[in-house]
Amino acid sequence: MHTPGRHGPSTLVFLLPWLLTFGIFALYPLADSFWVSFTRYNPIQGPPVFIGLDNYARLLRDPIFWTSLRNTLIFVVGTIPLTTVGALLVALALNRHLPMKALFRAAWFMPTIVSMVVISLVFKNFYSPFGFLNAILSLLGLPGHAWLQDPDTALGAIMLMDVWAAVGYYAVIFLAGLQAIPAELYEAAALDGGSGWRKHWHITLPLLRSTMLFILVINTIRSFQVFIEIFVMTRGGPLDSTLTTVYYLYDRAFNSFELGYASALAWALFAVTLGASLVYVRVLKDRGAA
Amino acid sequence: MIGKIMRTMSWLLLLPAVTGVFGCSGGSTPAGPITVHFWQFWEADVVGPILTRFEAENPGIKVQMKQLTWQNGREEILAAVAANTAPDLCELGSTWFGRFAADGALADISAETDSLRARLRQWEAAMHNGRVYGVPWVLGTRAVFYNKRLFREAGLNPDLSPPDTWPRLMEAASKIHKPDAGTYGFGRNSGERYVLFKKFMPLAWSNGGDVLSADGLQSVFNSTENLEALKFWLSLKSVSLTERQDQIDQAFKQERIGIIQSGAWLFKTLPTDAPKLEYGVCRMPRPDGNNRVNRSFGGGEILVIFKNSPRREAALKLAAFLARGDNALALCRVAKSVQPAAVGMENDDYYQANPGERTFVEQLTTAVFPPNDPSWQEMENAVENWVEKAMFEKVTAEKALEEADQEIVALLHARIP
Repeated sequence: MHTPGRHGPSTLVFLLPWLLTFGIFALYPLADSFWVSFTRYNPIQGPPVFIGLDNYARLLRDPIFWTSLRNTLIFVVGTIPLTTVGALLVALALNRHLPMKALFRAAWFMPTIVSMVVISLVFKNFYSPFGFLNAILSLLGLPGHAWLQDPDTALGAIMLMDVWAAVGYYAVIFLAGLQAIPAELYEAAALDGGSGWRKHWHITLPLLRSTMLFILVINTIRSFQVFIEIFVMTRGGPLDSTLTTVYYLYDRAFNSFELGYASALAWALFAVTLGASLVYVRVLKDRGAA
Repeated sequence: MIGKIMRTMSWLLLLPAVTGVFGCSGGSTPAGPITVHFWQFWEADVVGPILTRFEAENPGIKVQMKQLTWQNGREEILAAVAANTAPDLCELGSTWFGRFAADGALADISAETDSLRARLRQWEAAMHNGRVYGVPWVLGTRAVFYNKRLFREAGLNPDLSPPDTWPRLMEAASKIHKPDAGTYGFGRNSGERYVLFKKFMPLAWSNGGDVLSADGLQSVFNSTENLEALKFWLSLKSVSLTERQDQIDQAFKQERIGIIQSGAWLFKTLPTDAPKLEYGVCRMPRPDGNNRVNRSFGGGEILVIFKNSPRREAALKLAAFLARGDNALALCRVAKSVQPAAVGMENDDYYQANPGERTFVEQLTTAVFPPNDPSWQEMENAVENWVEKAMFEKVTAEKALEEADQEIVALLHARIP
């Protein structure tokens, strides 16, 4: 086998740095963790021992895994619609001729350039019993609440923070999509007497479909991997109410040294994420064909 | 994904060896001075001077120190062991020690530490199956901090009746507790792992309860003593702010809480964060009468030598030097959060001059150090989960003890092949 003539060996040379790093830092570790997921592996005790599907069988029987998956799904299903709709609205607003448009754009984008650890620390105090949120509530004469201490509100509080932090980033992507829509289409619609909302419904949304698909898939993958927020703010508590699958697999790996089981958890989560992404592609593609 | 991290780490470690960048730091240089690789968690400017002194006293030995973080230090150690690049000497928290010792990663130094035996305390924390696998360096415990001003405002005399018994704690907390005015009687932990255990179990231990039997083979968690302790802990709800430790500490600094259980780390931040706060320190509360003892949770930092270290003798020398009373105290005076494992330090001028910190040294003498059981962390999880469920009223106190007991029994059984 040799490289086809029209690409030539120089193509390979230029691609090599990326191919090498991809191979070493992504492909090899992925393959390795797949193998480890079929083993019992505690590095202190020695090399991995093959145990077949035991880790996957254990996972199906592990109530904490199911709790973590349920929490993760709540997180995904709860944040994605809010983030997507929020980002779209922000993008539509920023796409108009607003005064101080640059300031608003920067303000919305700000959380994206701040580390999630920092955001989490800030919100940890924001939600604390003596924090800003309770201070506002008490000014309004409302009772305060220990937001991150109550199993019924902790996950929701983290989800809202995440929506706030993510909206700006996806709004910028929507904005790019909006600006790619030819202005003639709106002019034609205006000539035909189309109202503002009908223009959005019949022109903006259909033409944003590929942007939307991109955002949904990326955001879904990211949301399934929620970890930093949990690590910084709650460590899975109270009562496992914020225990997500990635936090759980981290706990198994580095508190219990069960790297084999942790890898199996990671691959199970991968399967769930892949499934969700395929559903999006399917649904949005079908709409496109209709 | 984890395998990914591990292998990535090992690749990263391999690269310099291939390129020869760090070719000389590998340590296979018999002619020159021996370089001991030492990983630890304290600030470099605290430990640095102690290491400089060691190098001056031991001209043949150089120390290459690496500072780990509490956030991911354990991952780094684990990755290093997996990649066979573990340091010679390493600091391990006593709660981690059991796993590393049970898994056979550590060198048995029973014979070499004979001469140190009488000079340091808490060897149990550095032992596994009757053998010594580490040198106790510094120890830590929890005690009670209370706000004297809030005591006086509630009509109590903080000096005559410190909250070191259950009735006194309850009385003081009840009188101070005015949540509508933003003042709470007591700070009760919840909502984070590996903390609640250290706050609840002292009550159980002080009441004569425990998790495992003395031989470590049976669960004794479902006992009357523990039930009384749990019921007392639950009854504190009406006079408490239930929060995470950092929030409780912060509220104490803001004079919003009368009584908290916390660690000696507060001595470092109280003078700057709350210079006006007038506080007292006493031992963890015990029930009245029956010769009950004020017990607390004890933990420590153990210096271990990894089994494959070729520089065992030099590493051991460094461990003995670090654990020596004066050197350990030099660390503790700055770090504040821990006290030396060296015996007799409570009589040192430093602790005589700082009564709050002396209380911690005294509390250490009656602290309970969890056994070095390889499943200990899981057992601790079981206790925390069920106690927390009882705190959120998902189960009764009786049921919580019963369920936690069953989980602990299952963990003990899983061990028998």
